[in-house]
Amino acid sequence: MSLLAPLFLLGLAAIALPLWLHRLQTQSSDRKPFSSAMLLETAKQQVHVRRKLKYIALLCLRVLLLALVALAFAKPFLEREPDVVTSTDAGTHIVLVDTSASMQTAGVFEQAKAEARRAISDAPADALLQVVAADRALRVASELGTDKSAHVAAIAALQASDLRLDYGEAMTAVERLSAGLPQPVTLHFVSDFQASGMPSRFADLIPAGVSQMLPHVTGTGEPVNWSFEYVRSTADGMDAGLRAYGDRERVADVALIANDSVIDTQSLSGTGPHNLQFAAPVYAEGENRITLRITADDDLAVDNRWFHVIDNEPPMAIPIVTTDVAGLPMIYLSAALESSGEYKVEPVVADDFDVRILGRYRWLVVDDIGAVGPALENALVAYLENGGNLLAFAGDRAAGLDRLPVSAHRLDAASPGLQDGDFLTVSQLDSRHPVLTQTEGWQSVTISRSLSLQAGADDQVLMRLSNNEPFLLERRVGKGRLMLLPASLDNRWNDLPVRPVFVSFIIEAGRYLSGLSQIEKTYTAGASLPLGAASGTSGQVIDPDGNNVLSLADTTRDQQIKLDKPGFYEVYTSQGQTVVAVNVDPRESDPLKVSQETLDRWQAATAGQTPSGTLTYRAEQTETVALWHWVLLILGLVVIAESVLGNMHLTARRMERA
Amino acid sequence: MPLSPSQQTARDLLRPEVLAGMKNLDLVARSVVEGVLIGLHRSPRFGFSQEFAEYRAYNEGDDPRFIDWNVFARTEKTYIKRFLGDTNSHLMVLLDASASMNFGGPPLTKLRYAQFLGASLAFLAARQHDAVGCMVFDDEVRDYRQPSSRSGKLQGVLHCLDGATASTGTSYAKPFEKFRETVTRRGLVAVISDFYSDIESLLAGVRPLAWHGQDVVLFQVLDEAELDPSFDTNVLLEDMETGQAVEVAPQFMREQYPQRIREHVEALSKAAAGIGADHVLVNTSDSLDKALRNYLLFRQRRK
Repeated sequence: MSLLAPLFLLGLAAIALPLWLHRLQTQSSDRKPFSSAMLLETAKQQVHVRRKLKYIALLCLRVLLLALVALAFAKPFLEREPDVVTSTDAGTHIVLVDTSASMQTAGVFEQAKAEARRAISDAPADALLQVVAADRALRVASELGTDKSAHVAAIAALQASDLRLDYGEAMTAVERLSAGLPQPVTLHFVSDFQASGMPSRFADLIPAGVSQMLPHVTGTGEPVNWSFEYVRSTADGMDAGLRAYGDRERVADVALIANDSVIDTQSLSGTGPHNLQFAAPVYAEGENRITLRITADDDLAVDNRWFHVIDNEPPMAIPIVTTDVAGLPMIYLSAALESSGEYKVEPVVADDFDVRILGRYRWLVVDDIGAVGPALENALVAYLENGGNLLAFAGDRAAGLDRLPVSAHRLDAASPGLQDGDFLTVSQLDSRHPVLTQTEGWQSVTISRSLSLQAGADDQVLMRLSNNEPFLLERRVGKGRLMLLPASLDNRWNDLPVRPVFVSFIIEAGRYLSGLSQIEKTYTAGASLPLGAASGTSGQVIDPDGNNVLSLADTTRDQQIKLDKPGFYEVYTSQGQTVVAVNVDPRESDPLKVSQETLDRWQAATAGQTPSGTLTYRAEQTETVALWHWVLLILGLVVIAESVLGNMHLTARRMERA
Repeated sequence: MPLSPSQQTARDLLRPEVLAGMKNLDLVARSVVEGVLIGLHRSPRFGFSQEFAEYRAYNEGDDPRFIDWNVFARTEKTYIKRFLGDTNSHLMVLLDASASMNFGGPPLTKLRYAQFLGASLAFLAARQHDAVGCMVFDDEVRDYRQPSSRSGKLQGVLHCLDGATASTGTSYAKPFEKFRETVTRRGLVAVISDFYSDIESLLAGVRPLAWHGQDVVLFQVLDEAELDPSFDTNVLLEDMETGQAVEVAPQFMREQYPQRIREHVEALSKAAAGIGADHVLVNTSDSLDKALRNYLLFRQRRK
C-alpha cells in the first residue's frame, strides 16, 4: 500500500492525546487522602479491573479512529500490476468514435453509437477490444479487454463535443496508441467522414501498426445546415458570411444581438453562400458582446450562433513631451501612435508641462530627453518610481549635455555619428523582447548619428549598433520602466521614422509600457488561450456556463486555457478584465463527405501494412486502487462503535453515581 | 428543662465549628469545661461541686494549700479540708498524633478535636485538684508530662497537647510500654486515638495498663467522613500513614464501608470491655460536652 499524501500521517501524533487522557482517567483524577486504608481492601480490584477493561476497549477504538482519520487524509492506494493480455488470433480491435461537432447533426451520433456497438458485437469473442473517442484529441473510453459489456457501456457514455476532428491527427494518435498492442490491430472508425476533416497529405491517414481500417460511415442522408463562415466588424457595421448546405432551399432568419439585445433581424433563403450587412449599432463603451443567431430548420444547431467581441474603448490619451509641437519627431510619433486607434496623442511643450497631471497616464513619450528641465526630471523620476513608464528619445538638446536627465547616462564626447558619410546599422537585437517581436526591417535602418552612452548595470540593452554602441535600452526604475533610444526622430540622425518598422515598434512599445492586454478576442473551439503570456501573471477564466476554469492554485501560474465551448469566456488578469469569443470551427459545418473512392484508397492503404506487433501486452501504467473510501467506511463503523461503547461507559458511570 | 440564655451561650461554645476559631487551647478547655459544668447544674449525682465534705488529718505529701488554717488556729492541728468531687486521683491523657489523625474537617481535623478533648479533660481534672499529665505519641513517644496537681503544671500539659502535630504511623506497643515504665500510681488513663490498628496489637498495649490497676478509657475519635463517607465517583483513596492507594467505588463506600467501620468500632468496644476498659466513640461533628459527659459517667462509675 502506498500513500499519496504521507505527510498527513503526522496526524498520528494526535493518538498521544487519548492515550494521555486514558492514563489520567485510569489513574483516577480523584486522588484523595484518607485516614486509613485498612478497611478498604475488598472492593477495589473488581471495580478497577472492570472499568479498566472498558477503558481499554474505548481507548483502542479512539486510537483506531484517529489513526483512520490520518490514514484517510494520507490517501492510501494500492498499486496493482496490470494484467498481462495475451494476444490471440483475433488480435486487437480499436473502435474509434468521432465525437466532433459535426456528429451533433440530427440522428448522426446515435447512429454512430449503434455502429460502434455493432462493431463490438461483431468482433471475435477472443478479440481484445478498446473504445476510443476522437475530436481535438484522442480519449480512451474503455481499457483494453475482452469484456464486451464494459465496452458497450463506455460507448453509451460517449457524447459529441463542439470541437473539430482532423483525420490526419486522429490517425497519428491511433498510430501511437496501437504501438505495442497485440497484433493484428483492426481499426473500426465510426465517423461522418467529413471531407473538411481530411488532412492535406493522404499519407497522414495511414497509421502504422494498424492492419485494417474499417470505416463505419454515419449520417448518410443529405442534411440541411446553415452556418457562419465569418463575421467581421467594419466601419459601417457588421459583415457576416453565411452558407446554406444541402440541396433543398430553406429560409433562415439571422439576428444581430448586442449585449443580449436584439438589434436587427434579416431573412435569407436559398442555398450556397450569402453575405449580410448589419448597420452598426450604438455600442456601449468598453467590450460589447455581439451574437449573430440563425433561426432555421436545419439539422446541426451547434453552428447556428457566432460570437464576436467589439472593443469600444475610447483611445488612451498619451502625452508627448516635446520642444516643438510642429516638429518632425512630433509628427512621426503622432502618426505612428494614432494609426492603431488605441491612442490619442496630446502634444505638450516640455517647459509648459504641468507635472501634477503625470499620475493620469500609464506611460508617456519624450521626443528629446535633453529638453527635460530639473523640475520635470524630478517629477519624471518620481513618476517612474511609482509605476509610470517612459519612452524617451534623444535629440539636439540632449547632444549638447554631458549627462542625460532622468536616465543619468554620461555621454562620450566623441560620438560616432558625427563623422560625415559614416553610417551605422542595427547589428544586435533581442527578438525575445515583446517590443522587438517584429524584427524585420530593423537591419535596413541607417543611422548617421547616435549618442554614445555606456550602459549601466541596471540597463538591459535591447539593440546595439554595428559599432557595439547601445541603440535601445530598458531600465527598471522603482516600479516603472524607462525605455531609451538615444537618437533623434527628426529624419536627420537616421531614417527610422520613415521605415515601416517604426510604426510597429511604437505600437508594441506602447502596448508593452501601458500593460494593455494582448489577448485575442476571437478563438475557434479547441484553441488555447495563453493566459500567462497575455498578462505576465495568471488570472481566472470563467467559461460560457459561468464556471471557474482554474482552481485557486492554478491562478498563480502561467496557463494554457483550453477553450472547448462556444460562447463568451470572461478572462480576469492583473491588467483587468476582458471577454473573448469562441466559435465552432466552420469546417465542422460542411456536411460534404469523403468520397467512397477516397475511403476505399484509405482502407486499401491500411490493409497493405504488415503486422509487426507483440504477442503480449501490458499496460504501461500500473493500476492504482484508491483505498480512502474503504478507510472512511471503516472510520464510520468505528465512530458508531465508539459512540455505543462510550455511551455504555457513561451509563455505567451514571449508575455508579446513582 | 430549657436552658437559660447564658447556658445556651456556653453550650454553643462547645460546637466544633466555634472551637475551631479558638487558637488558645487553654481558652478552649476552659470554655468547654465551663459549658459542661453549667449544664450539670451542680448535680449531686455527679458529685461535682466545691461543697465541703469532711476534714481529715494532714498527712505528709498533701498539698498544704488545702490545710484549713481556721481549724488550725482553733485546735493547733492541721486538717485538710475536703470537698465533694475531690478524688485525690490523677489523669493521664495519651494523645495519638499519628498521620491518620490529621484527617477530617473542616472545621476540625481529628487531631485538633482530640487536642480540645484532651485539654478539656485535663482542665476538668485540674479543677478537681487531680494530678494531670499527658503523653503525645505516634509510633514513638513524642512528648511527655508527668502527672502533677500543681496549678502551673496544667499549662505545661496544655502546651504539650497543643504542640502535637500529626506525623507518621501508629504503634501502641512501644509508647505504652514506655508509659508503663514511668507511671507509678494508679489513676485514670484517657487514650485519645482513631484506633486504626489491629485490635490485638492495640490490646497488647492497653491490657498491661489495666492489669496494673489503671482505669483506661479509650476515646475513639472519628470524623463524619469516615463514619458515613460519600463519593459520587470512583475515587483513589490514599492512606495517610502508609501512602497505600486504594481505588474504591462509591457503591462500596456507601454500603460496605460503613458496615466495616461499625464492625471495627464494635470489636474495639468489646475488646475494651474485655479488659475492663471503657470505650467512647467520639464523632468530631458532635460537640465536646458529649465526650466529657461520657468521661464523667465513666469516672463516676469508678468511684
